[in-house]
Formats: sequence, C-alpha cells, structure tokens
Amino acid sequence: MLLVLLPIIPLLGAFALVGTRRTRGKSINIPFVVSSLTLFLGQRVLRDVLGGNPLTYRLPVSGPYVPTFRADALSAIFVLLAAFLWWVVSIYSPEYMKQEGRARSFDISTLLTLSAVLGVFLAGDLFTLLLFFELMTITSFFWVVHRRDEHAIRAGYFYLFFSIAGGLLLALGIVLIGIATSGLPAIGVGPVTPLKPQAFSWGVAVIVAGFGIKAGMAPLHLWLPHAHSVAPTPASTLLSGLLIKVGAYGLIRTGEIAGWGLEFASAAPWLGPVLTALGTCTMLVGVLAALLQSDAKRLLAYHSVSQMGYIILGLGIGLSLGKAGSLGLLGSIYHIVNHALFKAALFLGVGVIYIRTGETDLYNLGGLWRRFPVTAILMFLAVLGIAGAPGLNGYASKTLLHHAVSGAAQTGAPLMVWAERLFLLVGVGTAASFAKLFYLIFLGKPTEIEISGETSQKFHISMAVLAVVMVGIGLRPELFPKALAVPAAQGLGMETAFAGIADLSFWNTGDVAGMIITLGLGILVCYAGLATGAFHWTPPGFLTLEGLGAIVCHSLAAVIRTGEESYHLAIASISEIGRTIRSRLLSACHRLDHSRDGAIGKIALAGISADAAILLVTLAILIVCCTYFDLGLAGLRLPTSLPSWMKISFYR
Amino acid sequence: MTDLVLALASGAAGGILIALMPRAGDRLRNIVALIFSAAGTLFSWRVAGAVFAGRTIRISGEIAGLAWSLHPDPLGAVFGLIVSTLWLFAGVYSFGYMAEEQKQRTYYTYFLLAFSVTLGVAFSGNLLALYLFYELLTFATYPLVIHERNSEAMKAGSKYIIYSLSGAGAILIAIIIVYSWTGNLDFTGGPLLADCGLRPGLGWVLALFVAGFGVKAAIMPLHRWLPAAMCAPTPVSALLHAVAVVYSGVYGIVRVVYSVFGHELAGQLHLSHILPWVAAFTILVGVIIATQQDVLKRRLAYHTVSQLSYILLGAFTLHPWGLAGAICHMISYSTLKVTLFFGAGIIAKGTGKVRVSEMSGVGWQLPRTMAAFGIASLGMIGMLPLNTFWSKYYLMRGSVAMGKWQLALVLIASGLINAFCFIPTVVAAFAEKGEQPVLEKGSAMGLMLAPTLLLAGIALLIGLWPGLVWPGVDAVVNWFF
Repeated sequence: MLLVLLPIIPLLGAFALVGTRRTRGKSINIPFVVSSLTLFLGQRVLRDVLGGNPLTYRLPVSGPYVPTFRADALSAIFVLLAAFLWWVVSIYSPEYMKQEGRARSFDISTLLTLSAVLGVFLAGDLFTLLLFFELMTITSFFWVVHRRDEHAIRAGYFYLFFSIAGGLLLALGIVLIGIATSGLPAIGVGPVTPLKPQAFSWGVAVIVAGFGIKAGMAPLHLWLPHAHSVAPTPASTLLSGLLIKVGAYGLIRTGEIAGWGLEFASAAPWLGPVLTALGTCTMLVGVLAALLQSDAKRLLAYHSVSQMGYIILGLGIGLSLGKAGSLGLLGSIYHIVNHALFKAALFLGVGVIYIRTGETDLYNLGGLWRRFPVTAILMFLAVLGIAGAPGLNGYASKTLLHHAVSGAAQTGAPLMVWAERLFLLVGVGTAASFAKLFYLIFLGKPTEIEISGETSQKFHISMAVLAVVMVGIGLRPELFPKALAVPAAQGLGMETAFAGIADLSFWNTGDVAGMIITLGLGILVCYAGLATGAFHWTPPGFLTLEGLGAIVCHSLAAVIRTGEESYHLAIASISEIGRTIRSRLLSACHRLDHSRDGAIGKIALAGISADAAILLVTLAILIVCCTYFDLGLAGLRLPTSLPSWMKISFYR
Repeated sequence: MTDLVLALASGAAGGILIALMPRAGDRLRNIVALIFSAAGTLFSWRVAGAVFAGRTIRISGEIAGLAWSLHPDPLGAVFGLIVSTLWLFAGVYSFGYMAEEQKQRTYYTYFLLAFSVTLGVAFSGNLLALYLFYELLTFATYPLVIHERNSEAMKAGSKYIIYSLSGAGAILIAIIIVYSWTGNLDFTGGPLLADCGLRPGLGWVLALFVAGFGVKAAIMPLHRWLPAAMCAPTPVSALLHAVAVVYSGVYGIVRVVYSVFGHELAGQLHLSHILPWVAAFTILVGVIIATQQDVLKRRLAYHTVSQLSYILLGAFTLHPWGLAGAICHMISYSTLKVTLFFGAGIIAKGTGKVRVSEMSGVGWQLPRTMAAFGIASLGMIGMLPLNTFWSKYYLMRGSVAMGKWQLALVLIASGLINAFCFIPTVVAAFAEKGEQPVLEKGSAMGLMLAPTLLLAGIALLIGLWPGLVWPGVDAVVNWFF
C-alpha cells in the first residue's frame, strides 16, 4: 500500500492546489508539505527493503494490464533522491517563482511531475513504467514552456517530440521483448533467457534508445540543452538533477533484463561495449559543447549531458565486464546521486544570480563575489564537487568510475583503453569549463550590471542543505556505496558488489594526486581558452548535430513537398480524364436517347445515371473477370478462347 | 430476439415519428430523438450482452429466393456497441449544436434512420443482409451530407454517392461470385469459403471485396469523398464520417477477411502480403497530408483516413494479436476521434474559427474543450494513459509476430507525425492569453461540452484499465482463431 501511496500523495497535493484557486495570504507551501511527506515515506520504504526483500503490490484489476508496484533498494535510493531534491527545490521555488510569475501553475506541474517520477521508480512492470514515463513527459513539458515565449515553445516542442519518440520506442521495445520471451518480464526478475535472441537484442536496443533520449545520451541529447536552459531555474534544477536520471534508471533496469554480472553470457552481449562507447561519446560531446557556451544555464545543461556520459560509461563497463564490473555499476549509481546534488546546487546558484541581475550570459557578468558572498561560497563548493576535487562528493564517485575504467582498460580492449584516455580528458574539460563559469561570474572584472532586490535567505538555505550533504559525502565517501549502493547492486544480481568495494580506499595518493593534476590542467586550459578567445569559436553548421538535423529535416520536407505536388498533379489529371469520360458518356447517352425532355444527359450523375453507369461497369467487369480469370461460373463463360499469355492466374 | 428487433426498429421508428411531426417544437423533437436513440442503445447493449454470454440470436428469411439473416456474432456485437453508445453521445451533442440550425426535422429523421441502418450492418448474419444495409447506409446518410444545401455540399454529396455506389458495385460482383461458388451467403458458421480451398480467382474476389468496402474505409486512393463530406454539420462528421459510415467499410473488410475467407485461406493468397502495405501506405500518407491541412475539420478527415488503416493493418496481419489490436483500435480510436470532432465543433460554434492558423488563444476561451482536445491528441500519438496505446501495442505485436517488423516502424513513425499534426494546435491555443471571456456558458454549450468531456474521460479510463473492454476483444479473437 505504501508503494501506491507515494505517487498518490503528490497527485492529491496537485488537486489541492487546483482547488485552492488564487487565495493569497496565508496559503501553505503545499509542495514543501508534500515533498516532506514523500521524503518520510521514502525513508520508510528504504528501511523496509534494505533487508533484501523487495516490496510488491498488484492492483486487483482484470484484463491485459495489471498495474504492479515494486520497490527494491535501487528504487528506494531513487525515490529518496527525488523526494530530497523536490524538498530542497520547494524551499527555493516560492521566492523565485514570485518574480518569475505563474507560480501556481508551476507548482501544479511540479507536483504532478513528482508523482510521475515516483511512479517510474516504483513501477513493477514495464507498462506501469511506461505509463509514468509518459506522464512525466507531459507534466514536465509545462515546465519547459512555462515562459510561453517563442524560445520556450520552440524548446518545448523539441523536448516533447524527442520524448514522444522515446516513449514510442519504449513501446516498440516492450513489444519486441514480449515476443522474444513469450510473456513480458516483470521489473526485478533478473536476467531472462529469450526464446528468440534476435528479437530480444533488437528489443533491448530499441529500449536503450528510448531511455537514452531521456538520459541525454549522444546523439539523442539535442533537446536537452534547449529545454533545460529555458525552463525556470527550479525546473531546470529538477530536470537536470533528476529527470534525466530517470533515463539512467531505465538503462539500469534494461541491464537487469539483459543480465548484470553475467559475463558476456547475457542475451545481449553487445550491450556493454555499446553503452561504453556511447557513454564516452556523450561525455566528450557534452564537455566540448559546454566549453563553448556563453550562457550559464546552457553551460550547465551541456554538463548534464557530459555527466550523464560518465553514468552511461559506468553502466557500460559494468555490463561488459560481468562479475568484475561491479565497480562500474556502483560508480554509476553513486554518480547519479552526486550529480543530482551538485548540479542542483549549481543551477540554484545561477538562479540566484539571474533573479537579481536578470542575466545569464557569462560575459556580461563578473566580480560578483562582493555582492553575493554567500552564494559565491556555496557555488564554489558545488564547482569543486562537479570538478571532482578531493573532499567533495564528485571526487568519490569519479574515483570509483575511474577505478572501473582503468580496470577495464587493463583487459587491453582498444575501446576500453580509449575510454580511459578520454575519461581523463573529459575530467580536464570539466574542470576547465567550471573554472570558466566561476571565474566569469564571481571573479573577473566587475561589469556595469544592475542588481535589484534582495537575496532571500531561503535561496541560501536550500543551497546550504545541498552543500552539507555534498561535504558529508565527500568526507566519508565509503559510507554511501557500502550502505546503499551495494544492496542495490546485489538486488540487481551483481553478487560480487561488496567484494569489489570492500578493500577500496578512496584516499590513496595516486587518485588524489591525479585529481589535483586534472584540476590544475583544467585551470590552465581555462586560462588559455579565455586568453586566446577560443571559447568564442562557433562551429560551422554541418559540424553540429543541430545543423545536421536541420539539413535532414529540410530534405525530408522537400521530399514530402515533391510528393504532394506530384499527388496534386496526378489527381488533377485523373479528374481531367474523368471529366472527359463523363462528358463523352453523357453526350453519347443523349444521342442514344432521342426524347427532348428528361433526357439522361440532363439528370445529374449523382442520380440515376450513376447507378446506370455502375451497372454497366459491373457487367463489363463481370464478363471480363469470367473470361480472363476463369472463375468457373459455368453458365456465364463466353465461348471465345483467349491466347494463353492473356490469361492471368492470380493463384498461388 | 425481441431485443434485436427492437434495437433495429427503434432508430427507424424514431426517425419516422419525427418525420411525421412537422410542427413539433425543438424541445419535443429532441426528447423524441433522445428517447429513441437511448432505446436503440439500450437494446443493442442487451443484444451484445447476450452475444458475449454465448447465446445465439438469429432472425432469417428469404427475399426472391435468396436467404438473408440477422445474426450478431462477437465482432458485430462490438461494432454495435461502439456505434450505439456513440450515437447517444452524438445525439446529445446535436441538441446543442443544431439548436439554431435550419431543417432540424430532416436532420433528426435521417440521423435516427442511419442509426438503424448502421446497427443492421453490425448485426447482419449473411452477405446479402450486409450488402443491403451497407447500400442503405449510403442513402440514409446522403441527406445529412448535403444538409447545408449549398453548392459545396451538393458537390460533396455527389462525390459521396458516386464513390459509395461504385464500391457497392464491386461488392455486388464479389458477392455474386461467392454465391456461385458456394450457393450460400451465410458467414456465421465458420469461414464461408473454407471448403472451397484454393482456386483460381480467389485473390481477385478478395481484391474486389477490399476495394468495394475500402471506399467507405477510405483506403487510399479511394478516400477522396471523405474530406469532401466534411461540409456536413459537425455531429454528422464526428459520428458518421469518423465512426459509423467509415466503420461499416472497415467492418465489411474485417468480416470478409475473417468470416468469408477465414484467416487460413486468406493467408495463403499472395494478396495477403500486399494488403498490409496498402494499409501502411494509407497510414503514413494520410497523416502526412493531414499535417498540411489548415481547415481543422479537413485535417481531422485526413487523419481519419490514416487511422482507419490502423484497423485494417491489424486485420490484414491475420494474426490473433493483430486482430486484437484492430478491435481495440476500433473501440479506442472512435472515442478519441469523436472527442476531437466535438472539440472542433465547439470551437467553430463558440468562436467561429475553423482554421488551425487562427486558433491561437482559443484555449483560454474554451479551456475545458481544449483540454479534452489535448487529451485526445495525446491519444492519437499512442501515449499510455490513453486507450489507443493498447491498440497500438497489439498492432505492433501482431505485425512483429507475423514477421513484418517494418510495419511496427510505420506505426511508430505515424505516431510521431500525429504529434506534429495536433500538438502544435493545442499549444498554440494556449499560447497567448488575451482578454477574451470564457465562452463555455449556456445550455447549448453545456450540451456540447458534456459528451466531449465524458468521452475524453472514458478514453482515459479505458487506457488505465484496458480490462474494461478486453472481454469484447477477447471474444472476437477467440471467435475467429
């Protein structure tokens, strides 16, 4: 029952908000109440499932679809993470939305999205998962188009159409998997042995593409920077902090069907290497694009792409190496949590700057640390977190992932070797772009920018909550994986998860020194980029995926236009022929019929003459059929014999 | 037995009664129409209930030496259920929509007559009865198409008649051939041609049937009457040209494939490998043309063309899952499409806007209408909280199971193009908030709004709980496989 309650509470909250109308004054912060409640319930769920027994609940209905809810340690982690982020944002958003406008509709869509997200994490079968996944798409669409200007609507379409395609692909994947396994696998049943491996492989591939769209996996990430940067900041926070993680959650569950911890013996042996390659590409594309951005929110959005690359890479390595890949899976789960924390803090910080200055263009900002000392400190912590500085949470998960990648590279496979090299490169790029972000906003030369209003304490409280958790994780990095991620991985079938991490030290000199070198290199790159103006380079259209997409769309449109024109042409000529035949026919009939008044030719074709024509045509076709195609109608066959080449036999 | 007679008679009786009361006020006429369509709905529900319970209901007789029979089987019962339920909704909607229109007596007379005739198509038990009712339907709905009596309407009427009658001609030929082979037209006791086995010309007969019924099912290139017929009043477009008339064509094809040929015999014909692609072609081209239309009702019409072929695609897969998808789609698509048409009608009545390009800001004047419209648009994509997801799911499952996975991709692509077709309209309607007042007031508006919202709600309910309609789908599939 607890499981059904979790998605329902935010739903009730949304209804309550709809019901309250616009009563000003003593209104309570419903999102805050709701997310506190879900946080509490989520913790109850976590306590219940940590023993190793998942909770399940089936709705008692008949028919082809029985909604099932299920929670294991992995779901519990995601539920808690979602509830926590929503709780933090609900502290932040009332003050922010007061200035952005339309706070009530924003709150409603926020609560509905929470409900959908919790539903995805608690789904016990693929249909329920898809149901909440689609609901999430629709409700979060309202975030993206919140500003209702041309920009927002464009980004909203981008988001919506990509997500709809994702949902349709998931549906196709479910179909294929259902056919391959004769009966849909429920979520959490572990690896399946497909009857039709080919269909199963395609099914997994299609599902990966479907979730990959949500997760911002290259080359399906195009929608992400647009959507995440035009949404109001609290929404961007949740989009980048959590909604893309839903895609990662889906990938983890897909991996479960294919088999975690099964060394290439799984039904989709290509999945691990492909995810590794895609993850590496995503990392690289995200970070390169981020370096070139001048808008703070777009920079952060591209970094979401890049960080999702880390997560997908970890999953890929976990799937490639089988039992030895537990570090990859643990690192991914860990990085999902950590990225949610620091990315949320970064977005909230940028939001503070935006709400005071009305500006997100980095080159128009500068020297703001004097005016925003607290924000600057909190942002600095978040920047260190994402760059992976030791002592903060990013370091912990990146170290785990790095161990996983270097472990994989030792196998000598070129893909894995390159993955490790690029992993380090992306680390430098991340450090560089955040050095740029922080330098351009808070340090640098103060610019002539108008600063209005006051920074609400609530902004800082919400960021501080995140910072405390981040520092806490950073100082005791081994706590989370041992307490939560290992049970989650074991629940997924990775039995070796604990052994993989038991003797791992987060504080060995190699890792720390490597990270510090990475940071140093990053700052150097940033300096070089700012000094030479390389960050202002705009790549030509055909090099960017957007440009390529536009070219493809234009050519498609041209094809459709041509098709339409030829269709019109064909129809026009056919109706011309029809008109000719009609007039010929009518005049022939007229000549046949000698009477002056009431001649056939004067009656509309819609009346009697159509029937007459049809009867004639009917008879003609009948005679032709019977003679040509030898239907065996005894009495009706004409005595003529046709040459053999004219006889068409439509007979198998 | 009595239920069957009453179900068929109530529409006709109501129509004739209305025709006989030339001086009756609107109120009285509406009450009569409501009572008789409710009676028809009630009795056809009872018939369907009996059929699903496994009882046999049969009326038969002879005309000029040829036997005819009425004998609903699960497929007919499902069709009857869809049609009769929606007729009630469309009736209520008509009271609101037609309130200030001319020639209401003619309208309601033929509206109710068409009800009887459509139920006749649904409940017919042999090819002769099916053919007769199918032909009658053309004539019963012709006066509704030319309701406006302007030149556009008359032209559309001619087009409708010519297309429908040519199709019926093809069907007639095919029926004669089948009769000459078997000496029997009854299709309720197993496939009619099953005993004939493969023989020359079988493929051509199927082609004749498909082309004949395909006119009303709007298979491309036989679809051109449908967009033209959109000049009819909206309830007619919604009910007849999105559901009843076009469904009678679709129903005819399903009937021929499964009851006359049987899926085993049909599967042995070359034609059965071509027909799914004809449907796929119509699906894609129909919806692509729909995106180019500016007049909302024409857009909906081309969209109907595309969606009808979903049903045909499912039927042509000759696979139990595909047929399940087809029946599911018959049920789900009808609820959503009628919602869309009702929405378009409310917009036209409320604001006078008929073009998509004029829609910006309409959402704030008609918030509930546009909400229902938006829900239905999402359904047309095949998103999950709506019932069309299930039909799409089973259609894809059927296509993949029979080895034609490319058809599943066609369905996916069509879903995406559907999104391009309707979502921008909905978004534009809510884009600019002007100072316009909310127009959803008054009794006429209420009569139009209530069925629209109710149907959207039903679609959501079926989407979340497909078990609600599953017994019907299951019964049809078990009947044929």
